[in-house]
This record gives sequence, structure tokens and C-alpha cells, in this order.
Amino acid sequence: MTPLFEFKGVTKSFGGLTVADRLDFHVDEGEIVSLIGPNGAGKTTAFNLATGIYRPDSGEILFDGENVVGLQPHKITQLGIARTFQTLRLFLNMTVKENVMAAAYGHTRSTVVEAIFRLPRARREEREISQLAEEKLAFFGQRLAGYRHQQQAYNLSYANRRRLEIARAMATNPRLLLLDEPAAGMNPAETHELTELIGRLRTDGGYTVLVIEHDMHVVEGISDRVIALDHGVKIAEGSFEQVATNELVIEAYLGLQGAA
Amino acid sequence: MELPLAFNAQLFIQLLVNGITLGSLYGLIALGYSMVYGILKLLNFAHGDVYMFGAFAGYGALSLLGGPLSPNIAIAPLIVLMFLAGMVVSGLLGVVVERFAYRPLRDAPRIAPLISALGVSFFLQNSALLLFGAQFRTYNSFVLGSKNAEFFEPGPLTDPVFVVKDVNIQLVQLLVVATTVSLMVALTLLVAKTQIGKAMRATSYDREAAAMMGIDTDRVIASTFFIGSVLAGAAGVMFGLLFSQVFHFMGFLAGLKGFTAAVVGGIGSIPGAMLGGLLVGLAESFAAGYLGGRWADLTVFGILILVLLVRPTGLLGTRAIQKV
Amino acid sequence: MEPAGDTPRVGVDDWVASHEARLDQRGGFAGLARKIDDRVPAWARLAVFAGFAATLPLWMGRGDLFVYGIFTLIYILLGLGLNVVVGYAGLLDLGYVAFFGFGAYFYALLSSEQYGIHWPSAISFPVVVASTALLGLVLGIPSRRLLGDYLAIVTLFFGQAFVVFVNAANPKVAGTGLTGGPNGIADIDPNDLFGYELTTRTQQFYFLLFVVVAVLAGLHFLNESRTGRAWRALREDPLAAQAMSIPVNRLKLMAFAFGAGIAGLAGCIFAAVLTAVTSGNFALPILITIYAIMILGGIGSLTGVVIGAIVINVSFQFLAPENPQNNARVLFYAVVMLLLVLGVRPWWRLGVVLGGVAVLGFAANAVVEAISPSWTAGAVVEAGRLGFISDWVIVPAGHDRFANAAYITLVVAVLTLTRVRGWWRTGLLIPTVYLSAIVWETSFVEQPAVARWILFGALLVFLMTVRPQGLLGTPRVEIV
Repeated sequence: MTPLFEFKGVTKSFGGLTVADRLDFHVDEGEIVSLIGPNGAGKTTAFNLATGIYRPDSGEILFDGENVVGLQPHKITQLGIARTFQTLRLFLNMTVKENVMAAAYGHTRSTVVEAIFRLPRARREEREISQLAEEKLAFFGQRLAGYRHQQQAYNLSYANRRRLEIARAMATNPRLLLLDEPAAGMNPAETHELTELIGRLRTDGGYTVLVIEHDMHVVEGISDRVIALDHGVKIAEGSFEQVATNELVIEAYLGLQGAA
Repeated sequence: MELPLAFNAQLFIQLLVNGITLGSLYGLIALGYSMVYGILKLLNFAHGDVYMFGAFAGYGALSLLGGPLSPNIAIAPLIVLMFLAGMVVSGLLGVVVERFAYRPLRDAPRIAPLISALGVSFFLQNSALLLFGAQFRTYNSFVLGSKNAEFFEPGPLTDPVFVVKDVNIQLVQLLVVATTVSLMVALTLLVAKTQIGKAMRATSYDREAAAMMGIDTDRVIASTFFIGSVLAGAAGVMFGLLFSQVFHFMGFLAGLKGFTAAVVGGIGSIPGAMLGGLLVGLAESFAAGYLGGRWADLTVFGILILVLLVRPTGLLGTRAIQKV
Repeated sequence: MEPAGDTPRVGVDDWVASHEARLDQRGGFAGLARKIDDRVPAWARLAVFAGFAATLPLWMGRGDLFVYGIFTLIYILLGLGLNVVVGYAGLLDLGYVAFFGFGAYFYALLSSEQYGIHWPSAISFPVVVASTALLGLVLGIPSRRLLGDYLAIVTLFFGQAFVVFVNAANPKVAGTGLTGGPNGIADIDPNDLFGYELTTRTQQFYFLLFVVVAVLAGLHFLNESRTGRAWRALREDPLAAQAMSIPVNRLKLMAFAFGAGIAGLAGCIFAAVLTAVTSGNFALPILITIYAIMILGGIGSLTGVVIGAIVINVSFQFLAPENPQNNARVLFYAVVMLLLVLGVRPWWRLGVVLGGVAVLGFAANAVVEAISPSWTAGAVVEAGRLGFISDWVIVPAGHDRFANAAYITLVVAVLTLTRVRGWWRTGLLIPTVYLSAIVWETSFVEQPAVARWILFGALLVFLMTVRPQGLLGTPRVEIV
């Protein structure tokens, strides 16, 4: 079975700094895979390469067998890869619901003329987008429900903002979700909730998920498989236990002393 | 065919000299734009009008000292005083403008200081019109300093210092270029070697971090405006000396061209501002000479658009790498 | 954990939720305007506007209808178009007025004696609007590579280049200068509705009103559609928008094209109404006026553009040189009073200020007259019913120097006002208001054209420092 998503020999340098060095990994449909590694390992860079923000110097990035290198970011999202941002990039001056509705642009078709004259297709798609947004927001239970829909995004608490980012990514109707440190800055209760959420993304949402995470509890709780990076190179791959006890991984995080 | 060639060379050199002189002027104005943009990311549209007030201040000094036709002191100290007047008035005006029109907008959305700057520009231009009237004032630089000014005997400013292929390089032109070069050297030293220069550079990289490191960012920004405006004031007086006439609208076109120079050279870059100024001055001079005055301004604009399309950050500008 | 007892429930969910409601309570006049904007549905606002506007020809003279009615509508149209580019898509286009000029000149070329072409409006309108939109598209193409400020610069220069081209370059095409140089193009045909020529002001006004209402409705629907949302997302964060499937470049081009098309439409009507166009109609001051309209009303708000255009154009025309000075004077004092009423609280402090100003005036006048009569000998220009003013302000005979000194003192006083607080401010307000009256009577009244640009510039600075989001806008949160 061809993997849903695959990096084949992807290399990228910025000047003298190599951020991805013949990177090879894959994600199969229906999996939840975690991407770990110390800071600067190239994890977010891998996401940026995958979503077309950077272009690799060499190598292929295959989604469902098709090479997506060189495609515009919005095209890649329309093909089925959606992401969240490590530093949160919400549309702050738009409401919660609008944030999610905006992301539905890629799979709707009504034109400007149809919108201006309120033709049937435009009205129908508006209703559909509205419903879709409510559906995705409902994924988070009471957190982003009811009165929250009309709140400006800048009014949300930090944890809610993280949730909104995920909801927004879901609204693009992707097959693959790339979550960049979704638990960053969350307290233990919120982290626990998030861990459950990621599991539900697969079971209830049907998404394939690739997660960058630092919190090993989360990684342990969700992953079918773990991939470890360091300095742009894949240094380990396997189940959580295998990777967590791998010498190279420990050395990357804790230095040679730690590995000893 | 000796004659056409000689004509060509002479015209060329004349245009070259004009271009370099004009370019120095634009470069000084461009420096002000560049420095302010570098530190605040603000396009200070009012800069041209500060330049205009400097020119008027120089005229004011000239009038107070007896007027262009019968000055009370010798020409050398006269010119120095005119420069001082122009530079000080412009400098202070720049600081006041920053304090009241830009400082409250430090954290406002980007369009706010831009519109405020345009408002200041309208305000200054029309205030000058109100205060000084629409009538042109003239430095009478042709006769300035001569012993028989009333009889239109030329003063020392237009004396040829060099002659290259039948082209006179006048004292005033040399004065302008020399002053510009020295000001620019002084500025470069200031930014590179002094404490305040370091503070300026730090503030331009990251204002918040600089403030947290104990730098008084308000003072640094005010100093930046002061220095940029002082240079503009000098340029204003230079314009008066070169072309004699000062008028309330002169800031608009000169400001625009100085702005072009700053952008072409790479806004935020000091050597870029001078390079850009030179380029714009030469372009305008040659276009006026070979294509006719009507096309001079358009050529300058055309160059700007071309450079920006090919190299969006300007010739010597740095491309800021954003971490996503 | 839940705080016990009566402690403030800061941070608890519904306190946060009512944040917006609390924000709305504040803001006095602006808050009221926003409440109206939020509560009254869009169609009702449009109906009120259209209904009121439709009555204008019934009670306004032809001349007034031209400057107050038609010009305001033109500005509304231009503001709406700019709103699409700047307000919806967040692109800083400082050359927008060139599209207006292009539309006007192109229409003029197609419907005047310049080349003897006289196309009917049914053909020239679509051609001009489409071409202008295309021009907008072309100008938008480099916007892909240019971020924020650079786009502003390039568009600014494009706008300047247009003026210079039309004015100075004026290349010869088919025997005649294409754009008529400084004289522009004259004898332009009126717009026609399938043969029915719109020659009277009333006809032109109603046609223009119809166009404005149609554009308002269309833009309203557009804003609520997926395109409008995509534009807003693009404005917020282009990178994130792209990651969320939005084709950012295509939308930028669309915004440029739309905005330009609307400007082209305005140009067609403007050229016909004026019957002549020159480069001066499309220069930087007009651009800034359009920006001021959009900003005063609140960027992104359709209602705001309408209100902004009305406020700014009406004030401008009031201060026009052709207007009898009395009108302008009434407006000036009315505005000063309004500012005082809005700005000075509570009522008794306001009374102190007004009383102080009146007393100071008469007293100063009397004292100065006693010392040196020539100092109050100057005439108050066309005072009419407000003749008592000459006993209140100081207008010396031959007052150039005095006027200049008064003006500079006034500027210093106003700047100082912004720096002081409390009773110092109230105290300083009194001589400042008096000074402003003196300045008005000694210089502004004599040079109203200059005065209105000075006030305009000051208004822009004031607006930005005090309320950058405009009347109906919401304060934006921006990550710099």
C-alpha cells in the first residue's frame, strides 16, 4: 500500500545551514505519527517544506503518490494537507466562526458574480460552509461552542486559540493533518484533553495525523509510530519504546553524558 | 566629423556634473528617509516639507543678515550661517513632528503613521503658504557675495573651479558635493563608532529588546529624526544656493525624488541612500538633457518601478528573512 | 479553582464573553454611531440613505446639488472602491487616484471632440470600466513580490507617473496630444441612458445615486461571501490564509481589479458631469481625501465610507473659496463649539471655558484698542450678522506679521494642550480658543483654500493619534 504521505531524500539548506538532509520518512493512511527532536532539528521546517512554504533543494514530497514539490501552498492544502502553526497564526480580527469558515474557501466554488447577485449556488454554499464550521467547532465540546462563535479571535484564551487553529485546519477538509506542537504552553489538564482529542481526530474525524511534540506524555499517549530528527537527519524510527530508548535519540536530547 | 563629437562630450560632462550635484542633494534627503524607515518602519512623507522649511530658514538668515543683494558679512561666514540656520530649524521641526504626530502611533496599525505623515505634509506645506505666501523667495545666488550685486555682477558662487572639456564646474557645485560627502562621512562614523549610533542600530533591529537592554528608545528615535532632518535642512539650503528659488511646494517633488533614491538604494541602508541619490540625480539630469524636460520625472519613476520589480529590497537593501 | 464569595470573576468565561458589550458602552458619540451600525440592518441603513439623498434635488439649488450632492456621491464611490483594496484585502494602494483619472480620461477620449469619437455610454462605460479593471490587474501583478510598504511605494509612484504623463508627457497620438497636457480634455459628452442624455444636474444626480446604491448593495453581498472572508483572511495574515487553502495572489489581483473598476466607473461619470478633465483632478490631494474619507468612517465599513464622504466633502465645500465667507465662518465656529462640547466635561467646566473665552475676547479687544487703536482697526471680512465679532477679536489694520505670529502661537498652544492635563488644560483652552478665532479672522478667512488644507492635514493627524480606527471601525489587533 502506498503511504499517504512521503518524504523522499528531501534536502534543504539556508546558506550554510542544512535544515533537512536527505530526509526520508512516510506516513500511512489512518496513522498517528509523532515527529520529535530537539529544538532546531528541522521539524517545523519539514512541515514548511510539506506545505509548500519552502521549496526543497532536492528530493520529492509525495502525497497520495503525487509529487507536490513546487506547488503553491494553497494548492497543496486543497489537495488534502492542512497544518497548524507553532506560533499560532489565527485571523485575530475575525470571529471564531469566521476563522473556520474562511478555511473552507478551497473546496467551494461560487464566484464573485454569484455572490453579488445572491444566486442559488452562492446561498447554498454559504449555508454549507456555516454548517461545516459549526461541525468542526463542535469537535471541541463546550470549549468553542455557543456564544464563542461570535467572539473575536483575539479575545480567546491561549488554549482556546490552539483549539481554534486545529478547527480551522479541519475546515479545509484535509486527509492529512500536520499539527505543530499543539500542546505547547498548555497545563496538564489541557494537555490530557488534547491527547484525547488527537485520538478522536482519527476515530471520529477520519484524519491521518502527523504531530510535532515535545511533551513525551502526549507522544506516548497518541503515537502509532515515532520519528526522531536531529540536525535535519532522521536518527530513529519505530514505536515509542524503541525510539525513547534509542541511544542516538537520548544523545540528541541530553548529550553524550546522558547517553552514557 | 569633429564638431558633433565635441558637442556630445561637452553636453555629456555638463549633464554628468549636474547629475552628481543634484544627486548629492537627493542623497541627503534620502538619508533622512532611510534612517527613519530603518528605525521605525515609517515612510515619513513629511520629510520633504522639513527640507522646504530648511530652505526658507536659510533664506530667513540671509534676510536677517542684510539680504542677498547687500549682505552685512562676507560670503563665507554668510553661507555657514545660512547652513546652520537651515539645519537647526529643520532638525527641530523634525523632532517636533516626531513627538506629536508619530510617537503616539508607535503601536498603532501600520497605516496610521502613514496617514499621519501625509497629514503633517499637508499641514506643513500649507502653513508655509499661509506664512510666507505663494511668492517665490530667491537666494540670488548668482550675485551673492559680489561687490556690485545691483549691477548683476556675478558673485563667487558661480566661479568655475575646474574646467573639463569646456564645461565649468562651479564653486557652488563643488561646495554642495563636498558638504554632502563630509556630512555622509560624519554620519557613517556616527552610526558605526559612537554609542548613540550603536543604540540606533539596536533599536532598528528590535525596538522592544533594545528598550529592555536599557536603551532610551524615545531619545534614540528623536535623535534619528533630528539627524535626518538636519541633513534635509542642509539639502534645502543647498537647493537655494544652486537654483536660487525657494517656494512652499519645493518639498513635494524633491521629497518624492529623495524618497525614490532611498528606495532604489535600499531603504534602511545609509550607503544605499547615497547611491540611490546619485542614480536618481544622474537619471534626471541625463533624461532632461537627452529626452527633454517632459520625460525627466517619468524616467526617474520608471527606474524606481523597474528596480523594485527586479530587486524588491532595493540595490543595497537586505532581504529580511522571516522565520515561519 | 472558583474564587469564593464576592470577588470579581475576572477571567471566568462569561465575563470574557461580555467584553465586547463593555467596550461598546464607552465611546460616547462614536459608541452611539457603532450601536446604530450594529443594530440597524444593512438594508434599512441603505434605504434611509437613498431616501434622504433622493430628496436633495427637491430643495437644493442646482449649484449646491452639484458640489454637495454629486461630488459627495463621486467621493462615496471612490471611497467604496478604495475600501475594497485597502479595507477588504489590506493592500496599501497609494496610486488609486490614477485609476480614477484613467477612467475619466479614457471616457473623455471616447466621448468628446478630442478625436471626434462619440460612443454612447452603453458601450463606453463597459469598455472603460473593464480597461480600468485590467489596468488594476496589471498593477496588481507586481504586488505578489512586494510586501506592504514597497507596494505602497510603487503604487504611489504609479499615481505620480500618471499625473506627470497626462500633464507633461502628453505624447502625440494621431496628430493631437493624447491627454491635452495641462489643459486636459474639454467638451466631454454627457452620460446617456441608451440614448437619453443626462444633461441636467438633477438627471445626473439620480443616475449617480442609482449607481452608488447598486455598488453599495453589491459590495455588501460580496463582503459577506466566501470572497469577502478570504479577503479579510488575506488581510489578517497572508501566509496563514495560504495555508488554509486561500489563493492569496489571485485574491489580491481581484481586489485590485475590483477597486480599479469602481474607480473607472466613477471616472466615467465624473468626466461627463464636469465636461472637462485635467490632471489636477487626479493628483495626490484627491488621493489623500479619498483615504481620509475611508479612514474617518472606519476602514472596512461601507456605512463608514458614506458618512466619511458626507462629512469631509460637505466641510470642504463649505470652505471653498467661492463660498460666501459667512457660511465658512458659521461652520468654523460651529465646529469649535462642537469640539468643546464633546471634549470638555462636565458641563460646568465647559461653561467656564466658554465664558472665559468670551470675557477674554472683549477684554483683550478693549485693552488693545485703548493702547493702540490701529491694532483693532482691521475689518472683519463680511461679518454680516456676526458683526459683533469685530468687537471681540483683534484684527489689526495691515496684519500680515500679526497674523503669522498669531498662527505660530496657536500651533504651539494646541501642541501644548496635548501635553497638559486637568485644570492646566482647561485654563490653556481659553486663550487657545480665542487665538483660533483671531487666526481665523486674520488669515484663514482671507485664504480659505489654504486654510482648508491646513485643517485637513491637522484633522488627519488628530484622527490618527486619537482614533485610528475611525468612527465606525473596531480597534484592530495587529501582530507587528
